[in-house]
Amino acid sequence: MLLIHCPHCQEHRDEEEFSYGGEAHIVRPLEPEALNDQEWGDYLFFRTNSRGIHHEMWYHAIGCRRYFNATRNTVTYEILETYKTGTQPRVTGDSL
Amino acid sequence: MSRNRLKTHTGAAIDFTFNGRAYQGIAGDTLASALLANGVDVVGRSFKYARPRGIFGHGAEEPNGIIQLGSGAGTIPNLKATQVELYQGLEASSVNGWPSVNFDVMGIIGAFGRLMPPGFYYKTFMYPKKLWMTYEHFIRKAAGLGATPVEADPDRYDKLHQHCDVLVVGAGPTGLVAAREAARTGARVIIADEQSEFGGSLLASKQTIDGLQAPAWVAGLVAELRAYSNVQLLPRSTVFGYYDHNFLTILERCTDHLGLTSEYAVRQRMHRVRATQVVLATGAFERPLVFAHNDIPGVMLASAVSTYVNRYGVAPGNKLVLFTTNDNAYQSALDWHHSGREVVAVIDSRSNPSGAIVAVVKALGIEVIDGHGLIEAQGNKRVKRALIAPINQAGTEVTGAVRPLNCDLIACSGGWSPAVHLSSHTGAKPIWDESIVGFRPGDSKQQERSAGACRGTFDLSGCLAEGARAGADAAKLSGQGEGNIQFSACTVEEYQEQPQQALFLVPHSKSTSRAPSQFVDFQLDVSASAIELAVREGFESVEHVKRYTALGFGTDQGKLGNINGMAILANALDQSIAETGTTIFRPSYTPTTFGAIAGRDVNDLFDPERYTAMHRWHVEKGAEFENVGQWKRPWYFPLKGEALQDAVNREGLAVRKSVGILDATTLGKIDIQGPDAAEFITRIYTNSYLKLAPGKCRYGVMLKEDGMIFDDGVCACLGDNHYLMFTTTGGAAGVLAWLELWQQTEWPELQVYFTSVTDHWTTATVTGPNARKVIAKVCSDIDLSNDAFGFMDWRDGTVAGVKARIFRISFTGELSYEVNVPAHYGRHIWEALIAAGEEFNITPYGTETMHVLRAEKGFIIVGQDTDGSMTPADMNMDWVVGKNKTFSFIGERSLQRSDSLRENRKQLVGLKTLQGKDVLPEGAQVVFDAKQSIPMSMQGHVTSSYYSANLGHSIALAVVKGGHSRLGQIVHCPLADGRTIAAEIVSSVFYDPKGERQHV
Amino acid sequence: MSNSIKRESPLQYFHGWFNKSSAPESLFNDQIDCDLVIKEAPLSAHLNLRGDAEDSEFCAAVTAVLDVPVPKVPGTYHRNGNTSIYWLGPSEWLILEVGGDGAVIEATLRASLKGHISVVDVSGGQTCINLRGAGAATVLKKSSVYDFEGWNDAQSAYGRVVQTTFAKASAAVSNRPDGSYDLVIRRSFADYLAQWLLDAGGEFGCRIESS
Repeated sequence: MLLIHCPHCQEHRDEEEFSYGGEAHIVRPLEPEALNDQEWGDYLFFRTNSRGIHHEMWYHAIGCRRYFNATRNTVTYEILETYKTGTQPRVTGDSL
Repeated sequence: MSRNRLKTHTGAAIDFTFNGRAYQGIAGDTLASALLANGVDVVGRSFKYARPRGIFGHGAEEPNGIIQLGSGAGTIPNLKATQVELYQGLEASSVNGWPSVNFDVMGIIGAFGRLMPPGFYYKTFMYPKKLWMTYEHFIRKAAGLGATPVEADPDRYDKLHQHCDVLVVGAGPTGLVAAREAARTGARVIIADEQSEFGGSLLASKQTIDGLQAPAWVAGLVAELRAYSNVQLLPRSTVFGYYDHNFLTILERCTDHLGLTSEYAVRQRMHRVRATQVVLATGAFERPLVFAHNDIPGVMLASAVSTYVNRYGVAPGNKLVLFTTNDNAYQSALDWHHSGREVVAVIDSRSNPSGAIVAVVKALGIEVIDGHGLIEAQGNKRVKRALIAPINQAGTEVTGAVRPLNCDLIACSGGWSPAVHLSSHTGAKPIWDESIVGFRPGDSKQQERSAGACRGTFDLSGCLAEGARAGADAAKLSGQGEGNIQFSACTVEEYQEQPQQALFLVPHSKSTSRAPSQFVDFQLDVSASAIELAVREGFESVEHVKRYTALGFGTDQGKLGNINGMAILANALDQSIAETGTTIFRPSYTPTTFGAIAGRDVNDLFDPERYTAMHRWHVEKGAEFENVGQWKRPWYFPLKGEALQDAVNREGLAVRKSVGILDATTLGKIDIQGPDAAEFITRIYTNSYLKLAPGKCRYGVMLKEDGMIFDDGVCACLGDNHYLMFTTTGGAAGVLAWLELWQQTEWPELQVYFTSVTDHWTTATVTGPNARKVIAKVCSDIDLSNDAFGFMDWRDGTVAGVKARIFRISFTGELSYEVNVPAHYGRHIWEALIAAGEEFNITPYGTETMHVLRAEKGFIIVGQDTDGSMTPADMNMDWVVGKNKTFSFIGERSLQRSDSLRENRKQLVGLKTLQGKDVLPEGAQVVFDAKQSIPMSMQGHVTSSYYSANLGHSIALAVVKGGHSRLGQIVHCPLADGRTIAAEIVSSVFYDPKGERQHV
Repeated sequence: MSNSIKRESPLQYFHGWFNKSSAPESLFNDQIDCDLVIKEAPLSAHLNLRGDAEDSEFCAAVTAVLDVPVPKVPGTYHRNGNTSIYWLGPSEWLILEVGGDGAVIEATLRASLKGHISVVDVSGGQTCINLRGAGAATVLKKSSVYDFEGWNDAQSAYGRVVQTTFAKASAAVSNRPDGSYDLVIRRSFADYLAQWLLDAGGEFGCRIESS
């Protein structure tokens, strides 16, 4: 049971208020029609599946209803930071 | 007075029964102490060999006294007699020992114990597979894992979500001082201990602290803690799991000590604790010594003997032989001696032990035989004698003559093993420490620290100092206090101890494989020779050996046997214990009842039932209900004597011939506002909303980015930049999250807000050729003519005196008005419409009829006719996909993927059975060739199927490979009952194919 | 006509219910002592408001209509008389006026607010209940993962609100200066939550009443 800091509510809240939103920072191609099937498939289906540092989206579903991002260590489940959508993480695989 | 009760110890009498016999204990007893007081030697039979077993320990480590408490609905299996507090009328029985503990069928097998070597299950019971259930039944009955109650549990269970700065686990000396230090900072403190009283080892101690007897010192400290409003004391509370982010679970046994069931009060309570910091002060378990026949009743842990004598006033025998590798256990000889019973001898594996306490024991005239091992216990259902022999200094060989000592009680101590279980739950790997001859907690993976005996500090003054430090540190890290210890060090009387000897397997004059069984794990009958055999058979990993031999698999989770087992394994592998490592402990620390885990989430409260504002009307009219998500929806409204199909036939005919009314409240509804609302919706739906005018509605389909249908519904333009989106009943929350996802994370530049209004509006759908006449009777401020208020329009007006919004949208294909009012008026509007429709025999109908009517029209239900792998084209709904949209809407690109364009995709069609009375089962597989041999080529499946009273024959929707080009072909549905039903592929629209009836 | 119009609050059918688990015969006995009293403020105005908290014109216009400041600090609410504004999210608030008319407030706000805003009347979809008595704090602990005790440590102990899980549903929970708690719950979950509260509050003696 994770304890997650919501950057909008500015509090640590229990995991059961949130739902997981998948990998963060995946940008939708501006012109999908310009992509061939393989390129579109990469956007659609392929994720990094990191061991260690992972940037991911969470939705504060039973709370403020905002999406935000978290940097989580997928090995220890430690959440190293949470940050608002549209901003960049401070902790990255390179920074460790 | 029971025969083993010391005269100095008195209390109120308590009657109880064990295995059907009546006994008497006294207040303060556990079941174990009461049984020992009554001289009950055999409390169970062992798992594999059915050997008689007696009480061995005094707490959570007990491997033998595993009992079934009570009978009937409240019965609990697999409790430890050492942890069950005695109450008047308690009934208990052994879980092991079928048919009885004193004569056991399995005992015959026990005589042939060698027939059941390690890996016994794998070797013997794997084949033939189909007999496994038979074997398992026999094994369970024979092994006795207890009986689960067959009646519903009548008791109440509860949960509390707790939050604290510092959670202290264990209220022995270490935990108590830790809690006091933390409490003094003002931190929110919870201190939990599994025993009925706080004090831990001090409850049975004869030591003095600050000049007070240990129990008196404890009482003072507990009183001090009670005075703090920021401290919660939880006795009878086992911390049984330690999970991510400092989340811990505690099982509090609230009334178990009062009786089996508690009619009105909460029996057990689960505390779900989020702690900022944790102090683990879980103590240590004494390690038994592994010698031949060390499992005969009358062999006990040294600390257990002391506890029974000092705390419970029970002397479980007369003539004691103490066998020890350390100074600490000499205390048991002193306690026994002071109880007035005979200490035959102390056998010390060390040569020339010189500790202070050794001298004290000798001074009392007790014989200390050093450099010896107690190599074998003898006796049948009770120890009669001990065989001792000189052993070498390494403790590996018998070096001299064996001689017997007559006795009826053997106390043994191989030192202490820290209780590293909770630390291990966090993922910390225990570390072997030669200096304490045990595993210490590994590096902390959470915000926790271990203190006292559980981290290998065994002297009392050391525990008190560490506890204080841990309490102050934990408080400071939680943001309370400065980390200063305010507690002044206690004056403690204790003996300076000399080093212990590491002795994990006591040598016998015969080799391990030939010596009588030397038990390592009592509960599962794992012997030293079994571990050695496993190594000879090629097992090397500790985790594999555990599973092969079942070492540590019992309900005691190897609390006693693990360290000896690891050490014997290491020796057999000729490597160090550190290299061998230990197995990982996982929750639960001790068995936990399902009742406590379920809490109040049972029966009516198991899952929320969501009701509409008309729910009670439906109940009063005798509706049968269907679960749709968490909603309870009327399924059908049977008249007297009607079965489901009768009611559905009547309801469906009524709608097509006159008028029906449906509670459509459960559809999801999302209010959408903002300058970019139309643009946003157009990106989400497959069709365009840019030109939808106020007063108009449009049906839309949403795709996931993979091009597959995800939800559908009508969207209405309420005004400039203002829309109302309907979703499916089950999809409401998911669609709202989907809209928020795209707006917040991908297109934050689009100005649009979403608000759920599902609960605000109540919807009554009036549908059928007479619908307009019904509405006209209760609504006078809307021009209801088809020209003024046409299909796919909406209007605001007044219905039965209430401001309402009416949509002309139709899921039946008939003239329909969906009347929406704020839910407070739901029942009012429903009853007004029913009254207005009376002259037209307005018929309330449920979800079953709704399904039939929409299937007659070929309208899909997302999630029933689709399954997450269907495109609009597959559903024959290309018309809903906008071809000239400027923005690539969600999922559009995927519609052009090669797989989406593939020939032979499953496509939605109608199926008409050749025999009109045959109704295909939903889910039936479709094949083209009924004579094909198995495995047949599956060509599709039936998604919806009903009998249509309006059409006079059955109808079905199915997805069939290439179905759109197969109209007119005959397909076959082979059923589980052996029949094969033939059907013709037809259009999915069975009724009113031109769609004229909804436009009138 | 209006006299015959029936309005039903979400907890309508529970007004007058009792439970005391230590005395089962008293399920409908109003003489028992209750340490948990649940009181519905039925048929009040509830509106969802969206807008830019940084837009001072927007905030001023809201305050001009409602005479309540717009709370900008996460997890807080402001109250004046019968009207409260609760922070629900960074651009989202709940307006609650006891006894008010949601449609009227919506129209007034729409007339006063400019730019990208949203006002939605959700009065039919939710209700506000007050939990008071010695058992209230414990019942919250039974029902929700949120740390309500933590509010006591904070500098501003009162005027706090949180949207969180409540049993297997959800609620917006706020505290009041008298030590009681207000819960805003959804209509469709009201039956479930009423039964939950009666059950969880049974050990204290629990009754549901209407104001």
